[in-house]
Amino acid sequence: MPDGKPDLSGFYESQGRGANYGLEEHAGATMLPPGQGIVVDPPDGKLPMQDWAREELKSRQTPARGYDDPTAHCVMAAGVPRGFYVPSPFFIMQTPTHLVVLFERMAWRQIPIDPKRRHLPDTVRLWQGDSIGRWEGDTLVVESRNFNGKPWLNEAGEITSHALTVVERFTPVNANTIIYRATLTDPLVYTRPFTVEVQFNRDEKGEMLEVACHEDNQDLQHMKDVKDAGIGLEKK
Amino acid sequence: MQNIRGFIVCAAVAAAVCLAAAPAVAHHAFAAEFDADKPIKITGKVVEMRWSNPHAWIYLDVAAANGKTERWAFETGAANGLFRRGWRKEDLPAGTVLVIQGWQARNGSNTANAGSITFPDGRRLFAGSSNPNAEK
Repeated sequence: MPDGKPDLSGFYESQGRGANYGLEEHAGATMLPPGQGIVVDPPDGKLPMQDWAREELKSRQTPARGYDDPTAHCVMAAGVPRGFYVPSPFFIMQTPTHLVVLFERMAWRQIPIDPKRRHLPDTVRLWQGDSIGRWEGDTLVVESRNFNGKPWLNEAGEITSHALTVVERFTPVNANTIIYRATLTDPLVYTRPFTVEVQFNRDEKGEMLEVACHEDNQDLQHMKDVKDAGIGLEKK
Repeated sequence: MQNIRGFIVCAAVAAAVCLAAAPAVAHHAFAAEFDADKPIKITGKVVEMRWSNPHAWIYLDVAAANGKTERWAFETGAANGLFRRGWRKEDLPAGTVLVIQGWQARNGSNTANAGSITFPDGRRLFAGSSNPNAEK
């Protein structure tokens, strides 16, 4: 870039390593697709969940709760960092003052690159949070807060709350590869911060396609039927 | 481990469709919606393939044991993901006979998550199932 910073712009696909079905390493036996795990801290790769959060997670994986994932309702503001490991590509557009990420299947994010900028008042709560970026050498560091606590971290139902803050680090390691790290701090859900890492691969020939999630949505009624059946089973 | 969820189909016919490996896509948890303990194998005729959202669906008419015809619905991957793997609308005209293996919905309806599809000529397509036990 003219300002001497790396240009992250381009079409990318993330090596999500199955994180959309669980951030921890998990086998197929869980019935969610298997995943290699993307938690790099704590070193054991386990989410440091509080006890109540583990119970809530189990609940979200029952037939009565699968309907509750906002993205199943085409709420495309997937939160942070889910958009970066959902198995769908994204396009990064960078200027000296902004990084804009257009996710094919999820809502866009706009990230002002301005270390002097201040976060929104605490009363303003957003699905994607309020993000501010700054450069540390060749790494773009983005701090986000002001979340509303509604997004699920993935289809497994992993949890964050409105107390979440996220620090993301976009580090280009060559012309076509970015190492992405996100450290999540949420004292209402977790006993300590944790960090996930995925790799973004640039595809110069990649092309974004249109997504019209609401149009002719066949899933929602089915999920509602399953939910109702699940609730019925619970009552028996 | 999304790379193992892709599947490459290169049929030994001139009109073969070669599908590049791609991650499966889904908007919701398989575990909550489908039952991995209810594997099914259904043969029927395509009524319609809906390139709908957030997932495409294939509807089959199936001859039941009582002589009647049952309508089954199979969830596949998201339309964009199928397109990138080489699927096209014209690939499944009405009347095409298919054998679909998948997992039935937890509510016991004639609804399932499609794991694999076999065409009459033997070609097999990976349907983008959310189930980890789906064909690799």
